[in-house]
Amino acid sequence: MNGVPGGGLAKGLAVTLKTMTKRAHTHQYPDVEPDLPPRSRGVIALLEENCTVCMLCARECPDWCIYIDSHKEEVVVPGAARPRQRNMLDRFAIDFSLCMYCGICIEACPFDALYWSPEFEYSEYDIRDLLHEKERLGEWMPTVPAPPAHDPNGEPAKEETSAAKKAAPPTPPAPSI
Amino acid sequence: MTFRPASVVVNLGIVTALPGVLGEPIRFVLNWGRKYSLWVFNFGLACCAIEFIATSMARHDFMRLGVIPFAHGPRQADLMVVSGTVTDKMAPAIKRLYDQMPEPKYVISFGACSNCGGPYWDSYSVTKGVDQIVPVDVYVPGCPPRPEALLHGILRLQEKIAGEQAGIGGVSRPDLGAEAERRARRDVAALSAPPVRPPQE
Repeated sequence: MNGVPGGGLAKGLAVTLKTMTKRAHTHQYPDVEPDLPPRSRGVIALLEENCTVCMLCARECPDWCIYIDSHKEEVVVPGAARPRQRNMLDRFAIDFSLCMYCGICIEACPFDALYWSPEFEYSEYDIRDLLHEKERLGEWMPTVPAPPAHDPNGEPAKEETSAAKKAAPPTPPAPSI
Repeated sequence: MTFRPASVVVNLGIVTALPGVLGEPIRFVLNWGRKYSLWVFNFGLACCAIEFIATSMARHDFMRLGVIPFAHGPRQADLMVVSGTVTDKMAPAIKRLYDQMPEPKYVISFGACSNCGGPYWDSYSVTKGVDQIVPVDVYVPGCPPRPEALLHGILRLQEKIAGEQAGIGGVSRPDLGAEAERRARRDVAALSAPPVRPPQE
């Protein structure tokens, strides 16, 4: 502090005076909706139609907090040699009192049946209500934010390029010289 | 779960039995006072305690909701927030401090670990939820929960306080089952084991 007596005090008071006139940055949560960061991990939503009961999420879950029950149904396809079998989802439950919000189930899901939702307002009086069955998990689906827009400078997605190639007329063969 | 002397029970009966004129306004005023002066006692045990501190700081500032984090100890506190992993070693301490809190007292279980053990539910040393030792009013899910989630849990607790049949000397908890009541009545000594002595020659 260059040996000036009281220099540090003056510096501190200057900071105090500078911030004194600024508005408080308190978030008025119950009255004002909080602006949550992007990709905020609040709750896991289930899109039931996409689930094929492959059990990958339940097996990858480090806490084993996903409970899945299913049965097989025979689907008779006319013209096919044998009736086909498909899995029907009976129960899909996530125990949010146990979940550690790692998102591995969402990463592991090959059919995009699980999504992050930023909702956090589901604290309960009874711990048994924190076990969300598939109906409750499905109710979170409308709160899932839209995926981020594609990077304008990035390469287009593989699906887009292949679709564009199919739609485009066949290119004439390169002229030979 | 609360021990009430006979005279207090009689008084309580008079207060709550009187129709609308006296009982209901007193109940409302008592609940209103309890709702907005929750002196909180943070039982921070792990990373969730950081979120609790974040909630108490200027950005989220739960003093707006009447939660006052300046309780000198459990004897001056109304609300205990258990945030973090409760181990079997720590359980007697939590029980002892909870028993010292004056009635009416409330507990918020904050985060997966104190809800049910969380990622450590398979551990040999972790208590599978703080509700194994003390009755919990609100469970806040998350790992750790957002500060806003704690604020929401406090709002849920305030709703609960506003609706309860409060009287003199404590709050009855009919929502707890017989099992939870048995756990709450359990003595601290039942939670701790005697120290292991080295084998004598």
